[in-house]
Amino acid sequence: MYNVVTKSKDVTLLEILDRVLDKGVVISGDMVISVANVDLIYLGLKVLLSSVETMEKLRGSPFVGPMQEAK
Amino acid sequence: MTMKLYLYGIIDSSDQIKESIYGLEGAGVYNIPFCDIGAAVSEICQMTQDTTDSAVLEHEAVVEKLMTDFTVLPVRFQTVIEGRDNLLSIMKSYYRDFKDNLERLRNKFEFGIKVIWPADKIKENIIKALKKDEQKKLDSGSSSGKRFMKEKFEKYKIDKELEAKADKFIKVMDIFFSKFAAEKKTEKLKTENLLIDAVYLVEKDKERNFREAFEHVKSARPDFKYLFSGPWPAYNFVVLSKKSGLLRDSEQADLLDKVTQDQILVGADSI
Repeated sequence: MYNVVTKSKDVTLLEILDRVLDKGVVISGDMVISVANVDLIYLGLKVLLSSVETMEKLRGSPFVGPMQEAK
Repeated sequence: MTMKLYLYGIIDSSDQIKESIYGLEGAGVYNIPFCDIGAAVSEICQMTQDTTDSAVLEHEAVVEKLMTDFTVLPVRFQTVIEGRDNLLSIMKSYYRDFKDNLERLRNKFEFGIKVIWPADKIKENIIKALKKDEQKKLDSGSSSGKRFMKEKFEKYKIDKELEAKADKFIKVMDIFFSKFAAEKKTEKLKTENLLIDAVYLVEKDKERNFREAFEHVKSARPDFKYLFSGPWPAYNFVVLSKKSGLLRDSEQADLLDKVTQDQILVGADSI
């Protein structure tokens, strides 16, 4: 029998957080970019740490893909 | 007062977004075009958004809705730009990078796969096998120094064996996925139990094959645990080389000529 990790909403949320907070286009790695003395971009990234081993404990409802979860 | 623009993603179109999409603070999302690409933004009042689950989900929801009609380069949460002019300036600077990425990621999705294995159990088996080989030597009696070195060496051998087993499984994954994934990024043994944390870039029309391949991988080791997620916007596959993305002055002038008056006026009515 498969012992597949049951993908709960919490697991999906962690997957989303991992991407939205830590991946994607970053215009600059700095918190604030200053160009010609004008603060252009404010990146206020609070790092959320999670491990898959924690996810493993979060078993519950059947997996729903990120497309559905995020809406 | 200059309006603040919350940037969700860069899209491969200068056309307006037809579908009504609402982003953070319930504001409508629209496209600010630059040449043949665009920046999907909404106007916000707060300089920064709290990093709450709901705010992150709203951001992701916008990106995924955009993904249904456009190729999207998802932008990291909480990227706020002070005014249209600054945004256009950024678009100009990064235009080449954005174009290259949009081209590379066209019609492709990202999938995530995490595989968890019972590291303790596997280690136990390795130790058992090693003990058999080493039994005689251990029983032969040795000084505490030698015993210490032996134990150290034994631990090293266990770790190496564990890694070899991980490599073997990853090789199996590669055999199944390589045909259907355009690109991949993998991290082996991030933690002892997390055998592999992988993301794959898959063409839309190969999604079904990719999912089937995943089922094959699962059946190869049903005692492991798997987390499959996607399709996602290609968060992990956007590669910006800021230096090469910047255009020369002459190129920038050419590009600015191409930005039509219509494009410049997009969003101006809400300033």
